[in-house]
Amino acid sequence: MSDDSIIIPSTTTNSLSKLTINDYSKTGFGYNPSIGTQSNSINNIETSNLLISKKQIILSTSTIPIYEKLHLISKKSPIEEITLSSLLYLFSEIIQWQFKNSKNINDLEARLNGLGYKLGIKLIEMIKLKDGYKLLKRDTKILEILQFIHGPFWKFIFGKQADELEMSQNNNDEYMIIDNLPILNKYISIPKDYGDLNCCAFVAGIIEGSLDVSGFNCNVTAHTSTTDQHPLRTVYLIKFHSNVLYRENIRN
Amino acid sequence: MSKKNTGDDIWKNNVEKIVKLFTLTYGSVVSQLCRDFQNNYYEVNQQLDKMGYNIGLRLIEEFLAKTGIKRCQSFKETADIITKLGFKIFLNIQPTIENWSNDGKSCSLIIPEPNPLTEFVELPITSDSKIGKELWYSQILCGVLRGALQMVQLDCDVNFIKDVLRGDDRTEMRLKLNKILKDEVPAGED
Amino acid sequence: MSNSYYFTIIGTKDNPLYELEFSSFKNIPTTLPSNYIPGKSQFSQSTKELLPFIANSSLDIIEDLQFSTNLLNLGKIDQFYGLNINGYITQGSIKFIICYDSTKDESNSIKQFFQEINELYSKVLLNPFYNVNDAIISPDFDLKVKQLARKYL
Repeated sequence: MSDDSIIIPSTTTNSLSKLTINDYSKTGFGYNPSIGTQSNSINNIETSNLLISKKQIILSTSTIPIYEKLHLISKKSPIEEITLSSLLYLFSEIIQWQFKNSKNINDLEARLNGLGYKLGIKLIEMIKLKDGYKLLKRDTKILEILQFIHGPFWKFIFGKQADELEMSQNNNDEYMIIDNLPILNKYISIPKDYGDLNCCAFVAGIIEGSLDVSGFNCNVTAHTSTTDQHPLRTVYLIKFHSNVLYRENIRN
Repeated sequence: MSKKNTGDDIWKNNVEKIVKLFTLTYGSVVSQLCRDFQNNYYEVNQQLDKMGYNIGLRLIEEFLAKTGIKRCQSFKETADIITKLGFKIFLNIQPTIENWSNDGKSCSLIIPEPNPLTEFVELPITSDSKIGKELWYSQILCGVLRGALQMVQLDCDVNFIKDVLRGDDRTEMRLKLNKILKDEVPAGED
Repeated sequence: MSNSYYFTIIGTKDNPLYELEFSSFKNIPTTLPSNYIPGKSQFSQSTKELLPFIANSSLDIIEDLQFSTNLLNLGKIDQFYGLNINGYITQGSIKFIICYDSTKDESNSIKQFFQEINELYSKVLLNPFYNVNDAIISPDFDLKVKQLARKYL
């Protein structure tokens, strides 16, 4: 049997990291899903002594020990702040780049949503842990998680809370998070022939990803809803799948 | 450079706590490019450089407006301003300058740790070590400098020669002045 | 003889992301017997083969608890012959499971271990080259998990 024909659940995703059944770790550390628990078992005295001696070592190619230097909860990150301009320059380049790759405005929004989604499924884990570490609680109800996204989550990524959280009058599976001044749209002006493109599709993706991975399957879309005071006002429309509502009903 | 316009002062008035979003967003761009170009890291570097170049062309305006800096007298002064003001304002870090060449036209910028672009990055582990030899993760910075300098009539080469992500002792950029351009506006790159 | 542990991280599609077998680092004799390796798993071969299945069979229980309790740490959720099974579920639906062969309930130290793993896992996620549900193959991650195992178990 050739190595490629073995299907391993965790490596069948489009992972950038890849190990085969022939890749044995030189250091004795590192899990290899193709081999299983034998790949990283503690079976020699050197490994054992290393663990007992509490010595600090770095095994990856990077010179910086990433798991040591970053203290998510207990300590502050060494870099706390950065100018908003830098993010906005980067974001506008992302839009240019994705615009060139896309067929139309809907496709562009879908791509921005996809990029955001990948961030959302990562961010929720960290921000929840940072926010609720002492409580050791998860959010298991629709309203709880929406309040979390609207509050601490928003504050963590954008430096401020979202402005409003509303339930739809007409549909009980629809909720809205409203941001009067979405910072990513601050300097972006949409040309007329781009229709109703809202680049906050990226943020909608972040929300969708974080809700999805928490077990609240939904679709999130961003809509511009201008008012006189707030020309950039954006409404994120969150539509939950029926299974989420069904679960909520039987658990209550 | 008047006393009012230090990098610290300008920076203090223009910050937001969005560093994590910035770092992660940049990371998602790099990893998406690796996928788009099917792990052809030379092309990834090139694309990052282009994105940076376009940013540089636009960023210089904000930079000049915020700092009120006039034309530099020497390339050494330019390098000084890039590190003390440019990096400080936009990334909140201050690289050190080393290894000036004898003709005063090229030098190294040492990016301090933690670098806000690479804060959580570990290069993926694979059987072949291609990525660790070919990808310059922070390449966008080279493009930014190249673009911004071109707008002030300095044609420069900017590239990385060391990166701690690859296991080097430090992250080092090389900045080289080719020539001083006549007053003309460069075209944007695609 | 020290207790042995099987620790695994399970992704959102019930796929294994990481596994580790080890034994308790507590009560290590000062003079080591010749072939004694502290931390080495002492599960029998037949148990070893069953461990992934035992862990996976507890996934149903965890899934049921996911929305009926809002705790991260689920404590002892099951047992199988001489093995205790403890579980933990993160906000992002990632499950941590430990099977161990102790007669005592070690839920308190396991809880601390799980909490630290949760933080460690969040750091793994921040790496742009890591996607949710990828196997975690970083040697540094493996080292850190083993150091936590030594510290708490």
